[in-house]
Amino acid sequence: MPLVDPEFLAEVKRSPAFNAEACLNCGVCSAVCPLEIELLPRKLFRYVLLGFKDRILANTETIYSCLLCKMCEANCPQEVSIAENVRALRFWINKKVFQL
Amino acid sequence: MSTLKIGVYICHCGGNISHYVDVEEVRAAVAGEPGVVVAKTAMFTCSDATQQEIIADIREHNLEGLVVASCSPKLHLFTFRETARRAGLNPYQYTQVNLREQCSWAHRNNRRAATEKAVRLVRAGIARTNLTVPLEPFKIETVPAVLVVGAGVAGLRAAVGMADLGMNVYLLEKEAQPGGWVNRPGKMYPAGRVGKEIIAQLLAEVQERERITLFTGAEIVEKSGSVGNFQVKVRVGGRRRQEISLNVGAVIVATGFDVYRPAACEYGYGFTGVVTLPEYWDLLAAANGNLIYRRKEIKDVVYIYCVGSRQDPEKENAHSYCSRYCCSAAVYAALQTAEINPQIRQYHLYRDMRTYGKSELLFTRAREQGVRFLKFAGDNPPRVEEQAGGRLQVTVCDLLTYGEEVEIRADLVVLVTGMVPRENEQLVKVLKLPLGKDGFFNEIHPKLRPVETVVDGVFICGAAQGPKDYPESVASALAAVTQSAALLKKGYVELEPLVATVDPERCRWCGECAAVCPYAAIEKGQYLYRQVAWVNEAVCKGCGGCAPVCPGQAIDLRGYTDAQIKAMIDGLLKGGL
Ligand SMILES: Cc1cc2nc3c(=O)[nH]c(=O)nc-3n(C[C@H](O)[C@H](O)[C@H](O)COP(=O)(O)OP(=O)(O)OC[C@H]3O[C@@H](n4cnc5c(N)ncnc54)[C@H](O)[C@@H]3O)c2cc1C
Ligand code: SF4
Ligand code: SF4
Ligand code: SF4
Repeated sequence: MPLVDPEFLAEVKRSPAFNAEACLNCGVCSAVCPLEIELLPRKLFRYVLLGFKDRILANTETIYSCLLCKMCEANCPQEVSIAENVRALRFWINKKVFQL
Repeated sequence: MSTLKIGVYICHCGGNISHYVDVEEVRAAVAGEPGVVVAKTAMFTCSDATQQEIIADIREHNLEGLVVASCSPKLHLFTFRETARRAGLNPYQYTQVNLREQCSWAHRNNRRAATEKAVRLVRAGIARTNLTVPLEPFKIETVPAVLVVGAGVAGLRAAVGMADLGMNVYLLEKEAQPGGWVNRPGKMYPAGRVGKEIIAQLLAEVQERERITLFTGAEIVEKSGSVGNFQVKVRVGGRRRQEISLNVGAVIVATGFDVYRPAACEYGYGFTGVVTLPEYWDLLAAANGNLIYRRKEIKDVVYIYCVGSRQDPEKENAHSYCSRYCCSAAVYAALQTAEINPQIRQYHLYRDMRTYGKSELLFTRAREQGVRFLKFAGDNPPRVEEQAGGRLQVTVCDLLTYGEEVEIRADLVVLVTGMVPRENEQLVKVLKLPLGKDGFFNEIHPKLRPVETVVDGVFICGAAQGPKDYPESVASALAAVTQSAALLKKGYVELEPLVATVDPERCRWCGECAAVCPYAAIEKGQYLYRQVAWVNEAVCKGCGGCAPVCPGQAIDLRGYTDAQIKAMIDGLLKGGL
């Protein structure tokens, strides 16, 4: 059973542009994604908010497959900067996994 | 049988009746009934033109009774009583026969039978009308004073409102201090004002008004009289107990609610660090830079919503309603917590987020500030366990993370407790207040008559009638002010004369009638040298409950006398079945 890691959000949140907290889980983003990626972005944001680091690390491929087309962002009712958030997460993975 | 000169009008109701009932046939069938002088049909009897025609007929034929066979009396009883009055006919010699709801709409696929039933209904109406006598409504002078029970935010605001309309106000508070639940040090949504300050301001306004007398430590012990003129006895506590008699025209009940108290072990209640929302509210008000609970700094807080609300209705004494204020209050508490220390991590475990109206903005703000929201299903609530080292562990199946079970470690768990009805047995008994299934006081109609009760002259407002936040409590208090002032300002009330009467010659005072009367309208009276039943006409609602139980047939209901009911039955059965 995953344990909530309260510190993780701060670790990913490099700049105030990261605003996945505002997500209200409506699912519009997942519905409009041209790649039909199941994980992105709603579920991914849950993992970040609750600090399920392992889940994120297990999904690096998926996180990199995002086109950053912003289809989701254009439709998000909460104006979540989804693309920017994915970028922030890639930045964290680059450091953490690839030691870039 | 004696008859009156009667006019009968049968309405098409624009087709609502005439599509299913042959109104012309009904007219022909009743035109020869005893007493009938005029029998007509009309497309819309309630139209001005037809009402004018009725008035002209009444005058021309010196009619002594009127029957309109149309829609439900709920719709047009008063319309046609007024038509009669304008023509100089006593309004109580009018009978409305309901051919729409009780005949045409109910029997749309059998025109023959519907028409036959309509004939019988109209005959019964004519038979009743033949036995009517002129009646006048009772006029009761009203006392320009009101009793407000409960001095929370609703009662205080109602008192100020009534005083400003020129009424004397007696304001009763059971506790030593007025103010109710708002009178606390914490800040409140929507305006962010401190509860105590809101109450202090209202109390200052109360003090400014000479018309208001505030009694604290006071309770109502007795009530008699009727709408517009009640006598109440109030017991005032303190060192020297004292009983005071007051005379008021109306009563406004604003006795508020109680907060749900979790059972031992419910969501870990009883563990160190598990608190209710009001306890947390006080903690926030006392915070200074940091949030401290039992000398420990709080870093992680978990809130569990809907505690004591929205319970499974199958459960015994379940509080199955939503308490309405708590989603907004908990989200507002989150914002205050973040204001005190933005580093505090907050997890809100909710079932449905009901931050309705403007509170939606609070919810958005809370999310933007990093407050984390998890959603659980009603039948799969979170579990709270104690951990070594004094921390708490909460396990929840989070529907927003695709139903995954997650664990959260916390220093504090806040149980977002709902509103429950306040124990008020004595008050309910004295005022005969109607209770709803949920235990709160019931209004006559939640939409159209939201602050009136079935007890004439007794109004309810605030959280006593169901969960409300304070702006809603104040709004309903002002509604109660308007309704009671509308009653008292006129100077008198007119009551229906259709009440029970006792024939003292026949009454032997067995008390049977008094025992069944749901409104306590029958008392013991004196007739010559005997005791007989006496009906308080201002209290009697004319329900008729007493009439059939009297062994000596001493009670009759005006407007619906035994003789009239028998005549109606004969009318219905005329010509055999
Ligand atoms: C923890 C908590 C936080 C809240 N936060 C907010 C908020 O932020 N914003 C908001 O809008 N609302 C909030 N509310 C709701 C708010 O408290 C209520 O809407 C408000 O108190 C209702 O006012 P009232 O006058 O109807 O009832 P009450 O406040 O309950 O007052 C009733 C009064 O009647 C008295 N009384 C009871 N029985 C008798 C009797 N028989 N005779 C004489 N007197 C009697 C009581 O002693 C009491 O003084 C909160 C409630 C709680 C519990
Ligand atoms: S569209 Fe926006 S608010 Fe809706 S789930 Fe996606 S990120 Fe969240
Ligand atoms: S207002 Fe929210 S917390 Fe309160 S009972 Fe309703 S849904 Fe539950
Ligand atoms: S008619 Fe009904 S309200 Fe009136 S005295 Fe009889 S039982 Fe009571």
